Amino acid sequence: MGYNLLEALNVRVVGSGDRHLVLAHGFGTDQSVWQRILPLFTPSFRIILYDLVCAGSVNPDHFDFTRYTTLDPYVDDLLNILQALGVERCAYVGHSVSAMIGILASIRRPQLFSKLILIGASPRFLNDEDYHGGFEEGEIEKVFSAMEANYEAWVNGFAPLAVGADVPAAVREFSRTLFNMRPDISLFVSRTVFNSDLRGVLGLVRVPCCVIQTARDVSVPASVAEYLRTHLGGRTTVEILRTEGHLPHLTAPALLAQVLRRALAR
Amino acid sequence: MPTSVTAARQFLTEEAARALDEAVAVARRRSHAQTTSLHAVSALLSLPSSTLRDACTRPRSSGYPSRLQFRALELSVGVSLDRLPSSKSVEDPPISNSLMAAIKRSQASQRRHPESYHLQQLHSSNNNTNATGCSQTQSILKVELKYFILSILDDPIVSRVFGEAGFRSCDIKLALVRPPVTQVSSRFSRAHCPPIFLCNLTDSASGRVGYNLMFPRQEDGVDENCKRIREVMAKKTGKSPLLVGVCAMEALRAFTESLAKGKYGILDDDLSGLIVISIEKEINEFVIERNDEKMGLKLKEVEAVLEKGNGSGEGGVVLHFGDLKGLILDGVLGDFVTSLVLKLAGLMEVYGRRLWLVGAVDSVEIYRKFSDKFPSIEKDWDLHLLPITSSKSSFDGAYPKSSLMRSFVPFGGLFPTPSDLRSPLSGRNQSIPRCNLCNEKYEQEVDAVMKSGSTVSVADQYSENLPSWLRMAAVDTSKGEDAAKTNAGESMLSAKVLGLQKKWNDICQRLHCTPTFPKLDTNPSVSHVSIVEDPQFSTDKKQRSGDDLSINESLFPNQSPSRQVHMQQNFLQKSTASTSCTSKGRNMNFLSGLSLAQQTDKGVPCFHYPQQSLSSSSGCTPSSFVPPVTTDLKLGTIYASTSQGSITAKSLNHKENLQHFSGSVSADFDANSETTSYQFAQSSACSGPTSGQQFDLGDYKSIRKVLAEKVGWQDDAVNSVSQAVSQLRHRYQSSYGMNCKGDNWLTFFGPDRVGKKRIASALAEALFGSQECLVSVDLSSQVKVGQSNSIFECEELNGYDVISRGKTVSDLIAEELRKKPHSVVFLENVDKADYGVQHSLDLAIGTGKFPDSLGREISINNMVIIITTSAITKGNINVIREKKDIKFREERILGAKNWQMQILVGSVSDDACKRNDTGVWVTAMKEASTSISANKRKLIETAESSELEKAEAQEREHKLPRSCLDLNFPVEEEDEGDTRSGQSKSESLSESSECWLAEFFSQVYKKIHFNPFDFEGLADKIVKEISAQCQRIVGTGVVLEIDEEVMVQILAAAWFSDKKGALEDWVSKVLGRSLAEAGSKYKLSPESVVKLVACEGVVVKEQAPGIRLPAEINLK
Repeated sequence: MGYNLLEALNVRVVGSGDRHLVLAHGFGTDQSVWQRILPLFTPSFRIILYDLVCAGSVNPDHFDFTRYTTLDPYVDDLLNILQALGVERCAYVGHSVSAMIGILASIRRPQLFSKLILIGASPRFLNDEDYHGGFEEGEIEKVFSAMEANYEAWVNGFAPLAVGADVPAAVREFSRTLFNMRPDISLFVSRTVFNSDLRGVLGLVRVPCCVIQTARDVSVPASVAEYLRTHLGGRTTVEILRTEGHLPHLTAPALLAQVLRRALAR
Repeated sequence: MPTSVTAARQFLTEEAARALDEAVAVARRRSHAQTTSLHAVSALLSLPSSTLRDACTRPRSSGYPSRLQFRALELSVGVSLDRLPSSKSVEDPPISNSLMAAIKRSQASQRRHPESYHLQQLHSSNNNTNATGCSQTQSILKVELKYFILSILDDPIVSRVFGEAGFRSCDIKLALVRPPVTQVSSRFSRAHCPPIFLCNLTDSASGRVGYNLMFPRQEDGVDENCKRIREVMAKKTGKSPLLVGVCAMEALRAFTESLAKGKYGILDDDLSGLIVISIEKEINEFVIERNDEKMGLKLKEVEAVLEKGNGSGEGGVVLHFGDLKGLILDGVLGDFVTSLVLKLAGLMEVYGRRLWLVGAVDSVEIYRKFSDKFPSIEKDWDLHLLPITSSKSSFDGAYPKSSLMRSFVPFGGLFPTPSDLRSPLSGRNQSIPRCNLCNEKYEQEVDAVMKSGSTVSVADQYSENLPSWLRMAAVDTSKGEDAAKTNAGESMLSAKVLGLQKKWNDICQRLHCTPTFPKLDTNPSVSHVSIVEDPQFSTDKKQRSGDDLSINESLFPNQSPSRQVHMQQNFLQKSTASTSCTSKGRNMNFLSGLSLAQQTDKGVPCFHYPQQSLSSSSGCTPSSFVPPVTTDLKLGTIYASTSQGSITAKSLNHKENLQHFSGSVSADFDANSETTSYQFAQSSACSGPTSGQQFDLGDYKSIRKVLAEKVGWQDDAVNSVSQAVSQLRHRYQSSYGMNCKGDNWLTFFGPDRVGKKRIASALAEALFGSQECLVSVDLSSQVKVGQSNSIFECEELNGYDVISRGKTVSDLIAEELRKKPHSVVFLENVDKADYGVQHSLDLAIGTGKFPDSLGREISINNMVIIITTSAITKGNINVIREKKDIKFREERILGAKNWQMQILVGSVSDDACKRNDTGVWVTAMKEASTSISANKRKLIETAESSELEKAEAQEREHKLPRSCLDLNFPVEEEDEGDTRSGQSKSESLSESSECWLAEFFSQVYKKIHFNPFDFEGLADKIVKEISAQCQRIVGTGVVLEIDEEVMVQILAAAWFSDKKGALEDWVSKVLGRSLAEAGSKYKLSPESVVKLVACEGVVVKEQAPGIRLPAEINLK
């Protein structure tokens, strides 16, 4: 049975090394997003790659609309994968939604994670009284209706925005993976993500975290990194990358790899 | 030719005939001319106990709630029926050919089916006894409903309709064929077992949990949060869920409501019959009014219920205490809470088995207050903190829109509907009559959506009665699958088309505003390419393949004529040795590019050229194209011969001569071009190197001369470099280009960055004829932003540049190497290289090929690779030690900035009496700046300089956002401790890379140690020079104070300047002029003090020739 899960989510374990490292991709991408980071870490880590169930590379039949209504089932998937692989301790690198998943997973199984590295993470995307998440409710609804109306147009508009930096290859790559997602799933997942609110539970995290944030990110304002730093329960550091966009692993892999390496060494 | 209903009916069993009658009725109601399969489907679905409906429910694998999916199916059937042309009402619309064909098919399949043989006999006998029909019908096989449905499902129109609603007709068929008992097995027999997303592996042993989790969708309306709460409650210990999170209260409410309603399936047998008792209100009163009467009563009640339950062993109580915040008044936990906490704890102790406490709390911080006060609360209340991250209520109506499916249908594999698998090219022509119109409408809509962002659908006029989520589907179906299919294909294509353009941004903009439809038709070659291309990550180069194809074709015809011309040109060329060498270098570059392309493209049908090779070829103009013959050259020989040419040239000529050579014709020069052309001819004839061996000693001397001229102060290093290089070359010649590992690698250790670089560039000129042949990469520059405001402006390739984002450093190096296959590669600060570069270097030194991150390799056998590190090795450690107390350290000089200078005039200050004889001295104007350690300075400077650089150089890139600095500072300040720990970490990190370095250096052919540059000496010299100047111009009495910053700047400039006497020039011209001006303006007396200071923040606008110092000094 475990084998099926690993197969369905395209779990790959690569690299040699005694430490495990999970690379979890974010919304709109799949595990291929790590391919530029990957070779830099394969010699020193056993790297576990998997696709979120919402990724375009996963058979959409596996996406259960009644189940994946919150982030918790994603956490289940992650923990099940790690269990099926017999991983007892690992470092975790999560981007965007996977950062949220990592936070939740580490709350549930604090012993499993030695370190969380959160790239472009946000506990809550919507603004609140004394919290700046970067989005207003109305804006989000507009985005959703745009997605509904014409997914392709939305992808074409959103991808350069999210990538931020002027890297056509990255925009292309992100467009590809984003477009690979089935639109209804994509919409559903983004609703899930925008409905999620991790602010209350950040304090439950006991694992040391490293928040990696680019200097400008359309999805995550800079204040969020600071919010995470003050609210996460574990020892937390913030790294600001001198680049732009929500996807530093596509746009600035070398820079990110360096920071990752430093963070993992700690 | 339609068949009449009665004729069709005779093929069917009664059940099936009834279904057919229904279908006919549907057609009649809609006044359609014929009864089609669609009508049959519609009828079959509307039958009360429909076999088809049943079959649809069973194999449901997709994630949609069945209710919605059926609604979708009904609607899509309805829409399809709407689209059929209506006619005058016919009494019994005859059976269409397609439906009739389906009936025949079902007959055939039933006949094939052995198990139905018995039934068949039965039916025919039935017919006989009933004797309803004519004699010939008796032999007719009556089709059962099952087979009837099966063959109807085969109809492409029907399967498309099902596909639109998210059903797979093959699944349904399978479900029809298999009896319902085998439901589970049919689930599993399908292709592969369902993945275990749901089971907790440990829990899967216990059937209860497993069951529950396996079929979550049966509990329609039960959300994830409730499930989790339930899971917690089912545990043995820690079974009282305390929901944590902003949405926790909502989730709790939803849970208690569902509990109260006793919704089916929310609780297992174990947990059924629970009573929810809320003490939320009581707690509120208790806290605010201090009225514990009601609370006491309520708790008594609870106790009573529990007591009752205890007797029977049934039921239980969920005590709902609401928001934990309610217990906190004015932010403090009153003592009064203690009693409540203890009471509840007591209850838990006694009735723990059948009592659950549930509550919620906004954030962990509030809970922490509690647990601080009541450390044992978690155990006493048996709490389990459950993070809640979203509430269900906001999720209603968020169910999938099937209208969105259209765009993924083209991806085939994702949502397989067999009938859709037509090729886009053939499909485009098979358009349904309304296609064009709809296309137009659709495009209008796309435009409208893109421009205004509004979602008003033009398609509304077709299907106003449809809910919005089917509108798009309606439009699509009318338009035909093909359009939708190409649509998505085009978006992939358009991404590729974008890749073909150089200016991504412009094109991107344009594409967003224009519909992409015409692209496919007008650009067949592109579509071809897109098929060839692999869907995985594709590089720029591959995407250019479309371009390349055409360029390729246009290029080759030109080549043969130009080849001849070029040969002649090469022989008769009247140009300098150095230029001919460079052009040759470029040719070679193109050639190696070619061969590279050929290598990489083996097996790929179309020819990809690396972009570089193309650009270089176009840059070189056709005349510089080298005939393919030269590809066979031994690279080593070329290397030797070209360098000989240039070296001999250099030994003959003065350096200045070389620099101003172009255009002028001289005897020397003629000789030169002869040698080069001779050598070229030789090499193009593939002959081995015959000449030049006798040059060995001369080689050494000439190289040494050139190097020493450039870097006069590094005698030892110059000696060993020139020795190494001449040995190297000698070995090349003797071994015919066969080299052993790493022998063209040199390592420069120690300080003097400028000296190292200077030597490298001099070597490039000496070996390859031009300073252009230097690939210089600072591997540490990705760590810190290049100090482009400083004197040491990094003009060359910067390891991490704005332009180079998205590429690894290895890629950048590889790219440069590809451009300059004959060059000196100068990699600075190799100790700071990131892992990727380390890896590449390792491979490069081992194999002689430098790999980039994509695995393409560039041969480096005909390059000289110099790696530098400022790290001090044992060899020269004493050199550093002895000068511990120097004033001008290299770090500081390197940090020098290119500020404008100004002269201030004042009167003699008190401390001026300690002036020295010369009347010029260097002072530290700002105590602070000197006292700061070099390290810290660096930090600040990089930040400052990068900021200023941005402010100043707006015409350049302004991609690095300014805000990053604002972000960084507070972080850095607050994380003082952290950065420190980070430093120690980076040390430990460097330890690991130290091992690598040691190993790496051991493979390098030659290690060369550099001595530190004698800045003190230079400073003394400069001071002397300036004082002499000063005395000459303004007289002896005047004191000139030079700010230390300025001194650093002058030192840096002098160090960096490669023109001899540039500094002296500057002192006499610029400084002298300014001093003279100051003298005339202020009437300098022996009491006055002239200060030379830097205008911080003002960058030099105009530079003095030959040296990076201001061409003017401001007066104040």
